[in-house]
Amino acid sequence: MTALETAPAAVHVDDTIVTRVRDRAARSPHGIAMRRKDYGVWQEITWAEYWGLVVTVGHGLLALGVEPGDRVSIQSENRPEWLILDLATVAVRGTTVGLYPTNPAAEVGYLLGHSGAKVHLAEDQEQLDKALDVADQTPDLQHLIHVEPRGIVGRYDEPRLRSWTHLLELGAEHRAAHPGAVEALIEQAQPDDVMTLVYTSGTTGPPKGAMLTFANCAFAMHTVFDRNSFVDPAPGEDDLTLSYLPLCHVAERFFSTWFNAGAGVQTNFAESIDTVPANLREIQPTLFFAVPRIWEKLLATARIKLDSATRVKRAYARFWMKQADHIGAVLVENGGSHTVGTRIRYAIGWPLFFRALQSRLGLRRVRYASSGAAPIAPDVLRFFMGIGVKVHEVYGMTENTAVATANRPGRVKLGTVGEPLEGAEVRLDDQTGEVLTRHAGNFAGYWRNPEATAQAVDADGWLHTGDVGTWVDGTHLAITDRMKDIIITSGGKNVSPSEIENALKASPFVKEAVVVGDGRKYLAALIGIELDTVGEWAQRRGLGFTTYHDLSRKPEVLELVQGVVKEVNAQFSSVEQLKDFRLLPKELDHEDGELTATQKVKRSAINQIFGELIAEMYTTGGAS
Amino acid sequence: MSTISPQRKSGQRKSAQKPEGTAPEARRSRRVWGRPDLYTSYRQDMAMLNTRPKQLGVLAIVVLAALLPLTTSDDLLKILGTGLVLAIGAIGLNLLVGYAGQVSLGHAFFVGVGAYAASAIAGDPEGRYIGFGIDVVPVWILGGGIAAALAGALVAPIATRLRGLYLAIVTLGLVVIGGYIFTEWRDLSGGAQVGREAPQPVILGSDLTRDGAFTQEQKLYWLFLVVLIISAVLARNVARSRIGRALAAVRDRDVAAGVMGVELGKYKLIAFVLSSFFAGVCGSLLFVANGVFGPERFTLLLSVQFIAMVLIGGVATISGSIMGAMLIALLPRISAELPSFLPFITSAANEHPNIFEVEIALYGALIVMFLLFEPRGLFGIWVRIRTYWKSFPFSY
Repeated sequence: MTALETAPAAVHVDDTIVTRVRDRAARSPHGIAMRRKDYGVWQEITWAEYWGLVVTVGHGLLALGVEPGDRVSIQSENRPEWLILDLATVAVRGTTVGLYPTNPAAEVGYLLGHSGAKVHLAEDQEQLDKALDVADQTPDLQHLIHVEPRGIVGRYDEPRLRSWTHLLELGAEHRAAHPGAVEALIEQAQPDDVMTLVYTSGTTGPPKGAMLTFANCAFAMHTVFDRNSFVDPAPGEDDLTLSYLPLCHVAERFFSTWFNAGAGVQTNFAESIDTVPANLREIQPTLFFAVPRIWEKLLATARIKLDSATRVKRAYARFWMKQADHIGAVLVENGGSHTVGTRIRYAIGWPLFFRALQSRLGLRRVRYASSGAAPIAPDVLRFFMGIGVKVHEVYGMTENTAVATANRPGRVKLGTVGEPLEGAEVRLDDQTGEVLTRHAGNFAGYWRNPEATAQAVDADGWLHTGDVGTWVDGTHLAITDRMKDIIITSGGKNVSPSEIENALKASPFVKEAVVVGDGRKYLAALIGIELDTVGEWAQRRGLGFTTYHDLSRKPEVLELVQGVVKEVNAQFSSVEQLKDFRLLPKELDHEDGELTATQKVKRSAINQIFGELIAEMYTTGGAS
Repeated sequence: MSTISPQRKSGQRKSAQKPEGTAPEARRSRRVWGRPDLYTSYRQDMAMLNTRPKQLGVLAIVVLAALLPLTTSDDLLKILGTGLVLAIGAIGLNLLVGYAGQVSLGHAFFVGVGAYAASAIAGDPEGRYIGFGIDVVPVWILGGGIAAALAGALVAPIATRLRGLYLAIVTLGLVVIGGYIFTEWRDLSGGAQVGREAPQPVILGSDLTRDGAFTQEQKLYWLFLVVLIISAVLARNVARSRIGRALAAVRDRDVAAGVMGVELGKYKLIAFVLSSFFAGVCGSLLFVANGVFGPERFTLLLSVQFIAMVLIGGVATISGSIMGAMLIALLPRISAELPSFLPFITSAANEHPNIFEVEIALYGALIVMFLLFEPRGLFGIWVRIRTYWKSFPFSY
């Protein structure tokens, strides 16, 4: 890989995700670039095929009239077409805009209208209908492309609509007529070309589109692949990843598209978010990134399956899980390194138990695992450390191309997001404690929103992340909370709700927890139960229920959650203890406006929708 | 359905057609190391031995089976040899009953056809009975199989019109008719209580029924083992191919299979022909060790024994058929050993309860017990054990 230090000075960039794929296709054409499961079999796509498709689609975009700087938007689940169109767009110096497949029509209208996308790829009929519903908000949209033909072919009278196959044919024709056109554009790429707009989820107000340039991406790839050796050997063509988080999120884009293009990692597309456990077992990735929600889910699955095993297996598992707890605790104390004692325990336990458990979870081949995008409960990390899967918490955000801090193997501090990456400057604001970062990965600004840009980046080039942090032992950064989420009780105490919420969510029975209490006498919480685990728990004790709503009203369930709350309260000082809680009567949902597309709780919306429930907790007095 | 590239669309079924610049076929279907559940082509998914433990396990079993004669006494070896031959017939019946769901009580008839055809082909032209003097071993083995297959082809059209109980009764009739023909056609069979000689297994000029460096039992065992392995591989390949899937569709619901485009007549014919072929091969070898056999061997009892092998071994499994056949073949030996453990059982034929009665009772008891408690047979027990460890430390 070329060193970046020499690159920015040149007029054009010769190290982008596009050139890396091009060079890799020339170097190892028959190597596997990606796999996606089709008809029960993982169909492989080689680098040569991948590159051929990128060039063809690039020609197709040229044929559609895409010019440098034009936006191409994609609303699709993770699939090879996402990566191909992304790279093709970047190759012809366009800008990719990713939309969450869960974005409802209104948000699709806003995103397409605000970004001014010229070409939009809608995966299937559902996504196509969303885009067509809001046609009046998208004056710039000239072409629609669909991938799945089902329900679309022959049913739409829409001149702008064409299929993916047709786009390829168009590209092939254009390629024959103008050979080398795409390759020429690749050569003309500038470091400050905006290669993608990443819309941040926006827990307050409409989403903002962060502009990431070639230079940002090159810096990020260089920092992660070349400078900071998370794993030895560095990520390469023998590594496998599973792609299942929304690709429009910067973390998954980095982990799927950029790891694939930049380091040659084989990307495997999960069939859907629901099949992730099964796909994990099949793929057994070597590098695995997950958001806390997924880690929590994996933990809950493991616990439940171990508990519902046969008597002998259960007793056996209980013994080894006790060992795992011990190993986890010792590892945490030692920053992720083994002591002689734990090494021996683990070495004995591996063939007898941990190996099988890891295989079942699909984590046996994992050599680097990380968690990010939201804070994770230390208990979850401790569990995975104990069973031999060291999960490293990392920190970054869209606006700094996901490069800020990371826990390094062997230097892990639980409850922190790790040390600043080499090449990244990280400091805390003297007055507010806000985390500030500065490096070449800082974004070029918000699309069509200079005010927000000015707020985010100050004159010295420091990015204001909006997170409050503290230094732990002078080396590791701990994130307290989002600045605007900090609760100040009427007693004047500053409390970080996310710590309490994560402690609650570490229980397998709790899916959502929203701590409230801003300007009130004490803290209280709205808690959403995890339907799967609580349902299973209820079934085992013969408790009948029909729906989520019904289950969450059972006094036994209330009691169960009461127990969880009591345990969590014991970990906190008295001001931070929950004096009361209520169970949410429904599962929070993106469509209903309670969650963002990344499944983060929109506090303002919650306060509004469940206002009565909250008010109730403060009128009846601290019941618990 | 979606396609990445237009070339893929037509290439779905036959993976031969690929976009330009693609690696040769061999490269594309390579397994990914250390990931037993990751299949990158149907070929891998359907492979006969699709996991490394299976490959090693089968290899180990074959090696053990091949080395067994060196350490086992000849009388036991003779029983095991018979078990190997019976396994070939059980595999055939399992194709018909287990995979295609066509109940047949007429298996003994096809075994008989095979036995007589093989004897006739290999028989002495100058002798008392019909004989063509072709004593090349593969020829009379195949000849027995083909003759039985032809007989099966004649019966198959009946099966396309009947199913279930009716088919069972018709095939039962086959045994009765067969018994009559075998007894009365004395030029072929030698007649009741007389019998005729079985074919001589002479390979490369050495008669396997004569003791040499190895005993007769050892040599015959190896011959049977080789034929069984060939038969098992053949049957397994049929079962996992298009034919096998069609047969399974017919079994599960013949009307639905027909609607899906499975030609019922054709596949029932295939099932009968294949099944009879294996029965014929079994018949050609069944009496080689004894030397002489009479028509009274091919009665309903033999058919029931085969059914028992299939049910006890495991319906619709090849390895189950082999396990079932070995168990049934060993049953007389097992009941003969019983008196030393259970003193109230005697080995004298004129006292009760004696080992022969126990043997018969064991057949019945085994069938009833397996159907009640482990309908998937011996193979089911194995699957249970395998699942226990496969899902470890979970239970599912």
